[in-house]
Amino acid sequence: MTTRGVSHPVASDAVVVDRVSMTFNEGKSNEVRALCDLELVIRPADFVSLIGPSGCGKSTLLRLIASLISPTSGSLLVNGKSASQARVEQDYGMAFQQSGLFEWRTVQKNIELPLELKGWGKSKRHQRSTEMLELVQLSDFASNMPWELSGGMQQRVAIARSLAAHPPLLLMDEPFGALDEMTREHMQAELLRICAASETTVVFVTHSIPEAVYLSNRVVVMSPRPGRITEIIDVNLGSDRDEDTREEATFYGKITEVREALRGAEAADGPRGIEDR
Amino acid sequence: MILRGLRRAALFVLALMIVAAAWEFYKAVGPEKGGEILGVRILPRSSERAMPHTWEMGQRLFDPEVRGQDRPIWLAVLGYSWFTFRMALVGFALGCVFGMSLAVVMARFSVVERGLLPYVVASQTVPLIALAPQVAALGGNWGLPKWMWVAALGAFLAFFPVSVATLKGLSTAPAASLELMDSYAASWWTTLRKLRFPAAVPYIIPGMKLGATAAVIGVIVSEVSTGVRGVGFAALTYAQKATSDPAQVYTAVFGAALLGLSMFGLVVAIELLVMRNRPAEAS
Repeated sequence: MTTRGVSHPVASDAVVVDRVSMTFNEGKSNEVRALCDLELVIRPADFVSLIGPSGCGKSTLLRLIASLISPTSGSLLVNGKSASQARVEQDYGMAFQQSGLFEWRTVQKNIELPLELKGWGKSKRHQRSTEMLELVQLSDFASNMPWELSGGMQQRVAIARSLAAHPPLLLMDEPFGALDEMTREHMQAELLRICAASETTVVFVTHSIPEAVYLSNRVVVMSPRPGRITEIIDVNLGSDRDEDTREEATFYGKITEVREALRGAEAADGPRGIEDR
Repeated sequence: MILRGLRRAALFVLALMIVAAAWEFYKAVGPEKGGEILGVRILPRSSERAMPHTWEMGQRLFDPEVRGQDRPIWLAVLGYSWFTFRMALVGFALGCVFGMSLAVVMARFSVVERGLLPYVVASQTVPLIALAPQVAALGGNWGLPKWMWVAALGAFLAFFPVSVATLKGLSTAPAASLELMDSYAASWWTTLRKLRFPAAVPYIIPGMKLGATAAVIGVIVSEVSTGVRGVGFAALTYAQKATSDPAQVYTAVFGAALLGLSMFGLVVAIELLVMRNRPAEAS
């Protein structure tokens, strides 16, 4: 299948998903086939979104890449290593829909958490977290407690934390899902700026078609029961995307293309869980 | 802040006055020999021996412990209370360390939790007053001073609420945070130190409040049955003189109350310290 574009994975690839299947509660009466025979290759510095209706296994795929769960069959490579090895070496940063900040730590100490776990010294940690605070433009809030910040600011702290160790790969599971529309668009622009500056590869799970199109180089469209990749759409709106991009015809064209791919994907199932905004 | 402190102090004095007024009211209207229904006493006696006037209790504080001494009794009671306070403090500290450690072990190994928890609960139903002399005698055989064993019995009561609260608290870390630690490949121990334990603190503090007062009760009860001369023992000695000097026992009661309040205040101070940076709703 040419649409998958996986024909020649090489060691330098950021992520290689090779015939991965995932079945929960295998052999029991409540068995769920979450993913079936997935193949996907993500090159370094690529921005890939996973989109699909609820239950299509996009979050499961992200957790498999993160090695938070292990596949029933098939293999995953992250930075040329096994996914579990990549996790141990902290080759990726992760951000979730909930910022998951520790309420007993200041903003700066929250960003330093992964560095602490890597055993970095105090001054080195402080220097890096100060840089990260500048990157997400929250320098003035370094010594604030997380609960003193707005939801959007908390999410920026979480992103700074996920990037603090300069991981080559960033895994994001609907990180802006809980934000209002204006904050969300602002955060999308911020994320693009940050990723361009740090040359980070991103795998981004979302429900929102415009979000996927605006952010991604490629949009991976998935279908449920069992989860499969039905189509991979190249977007490439260019690196100089700004607020005007959201009003251009090419942007709308790509949105239509993704929406039609999704309709095809769930024709048998009816549309659910997809936001058209 | 200062205004709030003043208001609290005023409320405390007011509450004290209400209790004193209720005491005097009952003494004025209550039956001298107590009230009985079908031979069961349901109302306490209001006689001079059973219920001395509040001002007599107050006055008694400034008279000596034994006739002929110069030192007023409040100084003696304060001395006893201070001795008991130190034992209760040692017992409370031991109880906290033991209680938290036990909770960590139970959280780590669910087999241990299932196997141990019934015994932990059962331990709290052991009649301490019967156990105390045995434990003190055992301690004497080992050549340890008696106060250590009294403190240990305080710890015996203090560890339980701390342990139960910690066990609950350790399970409250959000799933997303646990997954985050998982993504850092953090060990169980690291996850405990960085996430589970800090997340448990708002649960541990109320457990410590219960534990602090339990330690005081444990120590006072153990004094009575081991003869260690703290405020509990003083209360017992004074009570034996109730016929001739009914107000005396209440000086020891005041001492014990002050002691309990000080222990509680200590935990409140700890709470203010460790919870100062937490969101208000968590405290």
